[in-house]
Amino acid sequence: MLFFVARRLLYLIPVLIAVSLLTFFIASLLPGDLAYVILGDQATPENVAALRKDMGLDQPVWIRYFSWLGNILQGDFGRSFRTGQTVLQAVTERLPVSFELMLLAEIMGLVIGVPLAILCAARNGSAFDRFMTGSAFAMLSVPAFLSAILLIYLFAVELRWLPATGYVPFAEDPAANLRFMVLPALTLALAEWPGIMRVLRSDMIATLQEDYIALAKAKGLKASRILFVHALKPSSLTLVTITGINIGRLIGGTVIVETIFALPGIGRLLVGAIYTRDLIILQGVVLIVAAGFVIMNFIVDLLYAVLDPRIRHGHA
Amino acid sequence: MKAAIRSSALARIFLVAGFGVALSAMPANAQKAGGSITVGLELDIPGFDPLKVGVYDTSAETAAAAIFDTLVALDDNGKPVPKLALSWTHSDDYKTWTFKLRPGVKFHDGTPFNAQAVKENFDRQKDPANKCRCAFYIAYVNNVQAPDELTVVYNLNDPQVNQPALMTIQSSNNAVHSPTAWKTKGDDYNRNPVGTGPYILKSWTAGDRMVLEKNPDYWNKGHPYLDRIILKPLPDAQSRFASLQSGEADIVWDDEYDADNIMKAQKDPKMKVHTYAGSGAQVYAFNTKVAPFDDVRVRQALVMALDRKKMSQAITNGLARPASNPYGDGSWVKCKDDGALPEDLEKAKALIKDYGKPVEFKMIVTATPRGRTVGQVLQQFWKRAGANMEIEQIDQATVVPRAFMRQFQLTPWRIVDLADPDPQMYANFRTGSPVALANYSNPELDKLLDHARVTADPEKRTEDYCAISRIINKEAIWFWTFQNTYYAIATSKLKGLPKIYHGVIDVSDTWLE
Repeated sequence: MLFFVARRLLYLIPVLIAVSLLTFFIASLLPGDLAYVILGDQATPENVAALRKDMGLDQPVWIRYFSWLGNILQGDFGRSFRTGQTVLQAVTERLPVSFELMLLAEIMGLVIGVPLAILCAARNGSAFDRFMTGSAFAMLSVPAFLSAILLIYLFAVELRWLPATGYVPFAEDPAANLRFMVLPALTLALAEWPGIMRVLRSDMIATLQEDYIALAKAKGLKASRILFVHALKPSSLTLVTITGINIGRLIGGTVIVETIFALPGIGRLLVGAIYTRDLIILQGVVLIVAAGFVIMNFIVDLLYAVLDPRIRHGHA
Repeated sequence: MKAAIRSSALARIFLVAGFGVALSAMPANAQKAGGSITVGLELDIPGFDPLKVGVYDTSAETAAAAIFDTLVALDDNGKPVPKLALSWTHSDDYKTWTFKLRPGVKFHDGTPFNAQAVKENFDRQKDPANKCRCAFYIAYVNNVQAPDELTVVYNLNDPQVNQPALMTIQSSNNAVHSPTAWKTKGDDYNRNPVGTGPYILKSWTAGDRMVLEKNPDYWNKGHPYLDRIILKPLPDAQSRFASLQSGEADIVWDDEYDADNIMKAQKDPKMKVHTYAGSGAQVYAFNTKVAPFDDVRVRQALVMALDRKKMSQAITNGLARPASNPYGDGSWVKCKDDGALPEDLEKAKALIKDYGKPVEFKMIVTATPRGRTVGQVLQQFWKRAGANMEIEQIDQATVVPRAFMRQFQLTPWRIVDLADPDPQMYANFRTGSPVALANYSNPELDKLLDHARVTADPEKRTEDYCAISRIINKEAIWFWTFQNTYYAIATSKLKGLPKIYHGVIDVSDTWLE
């Protein structure tokens, strides 16, 4: 097992280097020279040339990349030219919000998706199964910005049960924090559960045709016990993959959801950095988020190994 | 405390007539003290240190209006009235302005507010070594002197007839910061601003909320009324309006592109739509040095092919007010004849036919839903007149450099709401100015611009500016689509909101009923 973990960790290094390369070069390909953005109305050719020199923008792109990477290896991700905040400050301030949002969304997605999948698998082909599969398809095609506005309209404007926008840190007031988080998390979960449900449903249907399930039935075990105890774990391998991949989708989703619900998370930070051409924040945040995603997938790989011994021993 | 009482008595004696009248005109006890409001802004505020953020956007200015004071304020008639300055005089050539300051005022950190503080604020922005973006807007000010504790002298390079009115926007140039605070806090000052204003920054969570508490030692006794103001960025227009409906916000920023919600609010007795028909306009500049816009017939044809009413209907449900000159209803410049070209499609077609060659060009639009919509509407108008426009979507941040380098055929620009037309008109149309985007030079136009800025008599200046408008309209080097209108939607309980000058929702002297 230790060998397996070490080998996987080694794989991480080239992946992270590739991520840093892509991040840096995509950011430097963005139109709009940083010097012009900073100087704005004062962008006379002399001012631009002086500032470019000052910021090292006149250096070739690969030299800038290596000096950026060198600084990062020493823990210095740079500083926003607009706010004077360091990237690490900005990210640590905002990460808990997005992390909580994604966690709640994933939990809600699982809470809705898993029981429905099991019920559908148990009644494979029934009217209920067909209805739920259809609904899942429909939900998959509803974009987050639409469901967010509909949820706000229903729960905040009409019913007045939940706030439309805003945020309170969990540490300050947990109950209020959850009230603010319910709608944003639900918005994301509405796009999450269909995937979870459909994957688990088809895996379960396959599992339920295995001989040992027939044996369990023959032994007279209760249907619920067969479903939840005997069939669920072997069927959940794809579910783990889906959950891992979902994290990536959720990071994308937070950008929209945090903007609509005015949550001070990493997604809003990213959008703001793009609009204002705050490249230092942009590169730093993208790198940290991408690294987080890669590490998340690494953890998923490890979970596989825990769930399925064949992978651990390299026989899969 | 004694000192505070004495200074407020002194302040009252020094009150200039206009300000006194404004105060006593209010019915007694109408304002209720106490309570708290939440303001929904459009954007995240990056900070307040001019050296860091350069220029404030309207979200930052809204906060600055509560934390800082300016030397001069604009009353609801557009006249400059005393704030941190009590009175002012000027030299005959309008190049030297002397301000007498209010005595006994202190910054939130206890630093005394005086002429030295004003000078230090200016010097810091002007210093070339600091490379402040904010310096552009004070380029016409040569230096600021502090001959004594309470006297500040502005020495200008160019004459400015309306200098006090121009110092009223709560911009990065005009907000007066505590010199002690920026010196001691360094990099942290940006997010920990210290002013003399009616509210003190209590806490600020990036991207979420800024909490401002009433300044108990505010120099204007009896003000402010509210105990607390919370400012929140609510970037999405729909959820911002929903927050107002559900009571999470008491007043929100809005604009005419959100016409549906504005119209909904106008019908709702629990809400009040505050609008201000400002000066300036949404404008576009032709590059007259490149074909096909080197020919005046083509430029005139495109302007005549516009149907602004239809355009307003299509984009803003008819809320946007058509513009025929760069000044607008909010300006004191009122023209009997601004020389606007008629909206005449047939004439436009004839002009293009007369030109003889195919009219094909690219127009820059900002890569936003608004920019795209405007571009598509214009494209349709011009197609009917026989001109082919190709939309080039570019990022907002790239529009400015492209304009500076004159890498465009037709570009959008903006003339914002200012108390005097001179700064923007001079910059946009005087030969040799870096933002004279049309690349157009006309000695008569230059003469009028030069004359208007050294003339004191508003009637004579109006004549100049109307003549300027006639030249620009006739030569069609720029054109205007809509006037600037600024919006805020509030609960009807919120009272005392002044005009939304420059788009700044100044809630610092409001109260709840």
